Amino acid sequence: MARLLVVDDERDIRHLYAAELADEGYQVETAGSASEAARILQERLFDLIVLDIQMKGESGLQLLQKIVKEKTDTAVILCTAFSCYKDDFSSWLADAYVVKSSDLTELKSEIARLLAKRAK
Amino acid sequence: MTPLCCWNLEQIAPEDCSSLRPGEEALLFDRKQRFLRRCLECPRFLEDVRLLGNESDGLASLFPYAMEELLSQKMQLTALSRQFDSRNREIRFLHEIGQVLQSSMDLDEVLAMALTAVTSGKGFGLNRAILLLVDPERQLLRGHFAVGPRHRDEANRIWQEIASNDYSLEQMGQHFFEQKMVAEKDKFRDLLELLSVPLNRREHLFVKTLNEQRSLCVDDLYRETAIDRSQVEALGVRQLLLVPLVSHNNPIGLLLADNIINHQPIGEEDIHSLETFALPVSFAIERAAYYLKLQEKLAQITEANRRLKEQQNLILRMEKMALVGKLTANIAHSIRNPLTIIGGFARTLSRSTDLDDSRRSYIESIVKEARKLEEVLQEVLTYSESLHPTLDLWDVNQMLTGIYSGLSDDLRLHAIDGRLQLDPGLPLLRIDFKKLSYCIRSIISNALEAMPDGGSLNLSTRRQDDDALILIVDSGPGMDPETLQAATTPFFSTKDQGTGLGLSLCARILEGHGARLEIASELGVGTTFTIRLKLTSEGTHG
Repeated sequence: MARLLVVDDERDIRHLYAAELADEGYQVETAGSASEAARILQERLFDLIVLDIQMKGESGLQLLQKIVKEKTDTAVILCTAFSCYKDDFSSWLADAYVVKSSDLTELKSEIARLLAKRAK
Repeated sequence: MTPLCCWNLEQIAPEDCSSLRPGEEALLFDRKQRFLRRCLECPRFLEDVRLLGNESDGLASLFPYAMEELLSQKMQLTALSRQFDSRNREIRFLHEIGQVLQSSMDLDEVLAMALTAVTSGKGFGLNRAILLLVDPERQLLRGHFAVGPRHRDEANRIWQEIASNDYSLEQMGQHFFEQKMVAEKDKFRDLLELLSVPLNRREHLFVKTLNEQRSLCVDDLYRETAIDRSQVEALGVRQLLLVPLVSHNNPIGLLLADNIINHQPIGEEDIHSLETFALPVSFAIERAAYYLKLQEKLAQITEANRRLKEQQNLILRMEKMALVGKLTANIAHSIRNPLTIIGGFARTLSRSTDLDDSRRSYIESIVKEARKLEEVLQEVLTYSESLHPTLDLWDVNQMLTGIYSGLSDDLRLHAIDGRLQLDPGLPLLRIDFKKLSYCIRSIISNALEAMPDGGSLNLSTRRQDDDALILIVDSGPGMDPETLQAATTPFFSTKDQGTGLGLSLCARILEGHGARLEIASELGVGTTFTIRLKLTSEGTHG
């Protein structure tokens, strides 16, 4: 079972994603900030991270740089309400960029695509 | 001897002297003045002198010598006085014309004035004046303008018109400039064209006179060999005066003048006067030409200024749009999160609610309305993003030229010999300008840092089958295969500083463009980075 980490400072978003992704059959953990996520990542390995960008404290992009630097092969999907971060070159390090929506179809299909690519 | 005349009387009556004229009554009482002014021309007095000379002592016989001398000097004086008057008129005329020349910045007005002055009776009174001007661009002494009658009938008509109107010189010039200039230019068009001479014909009479900067009066043009026969025929005149126009040692043009109608000989004084006149005319022509150039430049600057203002307005508009974009993005963020939560949970709920549960339709409504709101949001965002399209058709050569020109300082600093070779046949390509130029810049900055002790950097574009290639070639130390492999992984860097994102990010960007980054490197020789972009079918040559 693929292990997913959802990082978002909005509690309800975390709940929604956790519930929906669990329904898809993933094992989901959540973190309310970049620093909490960093701590969790030290302890456990994940296959994929769904990462918000604008959060209180450290931003998702800063966490993304750390994750890439660690050279883990964890896939990262930036999931944000902002589409403008596509222009920020540090966001180009992520494997996918999804704009938040109440319809989680795109997010789910990106997760499936990246996990399938990883399994190869 | 009894005198026949009244010369020996102190005072005389008016009937005594037949030589006195009305208004000379004062002479009746002034014997000395009467003698000096009237007696010397009086036949009765002269007869008295002759008779006196016959007398024995003979003293009076010397009188005629003294009188002859006196009369001759008087005549000289009159001639000089006339000459003085004429010079005075000339100076007044030069002054008058000079004022117009100094105040006018219009080349045509200056020329009209100058040539009117040469040809009018109040000026130099020559029949015809032709002006040839130096055309520096075409290296030609070009027939520019001529004034004068073409034949006797026209001459009579013009002279009558001038006589009946009694114009001042300035009025004449003005009248000519305003009413006759165009017709006159047209009238002499053939002649002017025929008289034009290339400046490299140094032996030609016109060019030679211009270069020697000395005026010349040719007495028999038909025997002159340094001029084309056709030009002599066209001029149709024997005597021709040539006056070079020179300003600050620069040849401006050549003034030709003749008396084609009345064939009056052109004298030394005419030549001298025209030479004097040529100087202010040359200045005025040169100044008017400069003024014309200045006006052209001014028009260019005005145009540039207008375009700059347009650009400024555009930038201002874009800044406003950017602000709008920022605002909408902020709004989007604050609306999108709650919408995601509302709509998301509604969807979850909807799925877990039985089809026949009455609450299901309420939940469906929430899902539907949330979706609608998201669509509106998306529309707004799409619009604000469309203001800054990411992928568009760009001229890659232009992009490289821009990047290259920004490198000059770095190249100098690192003592690197830079070269830019662009394939002009490259079509426009669909690229993300910002990302691709970031990519090229970061490859170049890697290359520069690999050559701290100088070297060479070659930027070029080339078309190869269906690909457009951008090549960045350095003469740095090169990389071994392992380093090369590692170079494209994130955060690899042989440098002490820097993010280490460089090449891996480039590879990623290029992947997004459907492009490839190829690196060929040899230790001690250098590295070649090749960016291989697909040509788009919509691409147009540009």
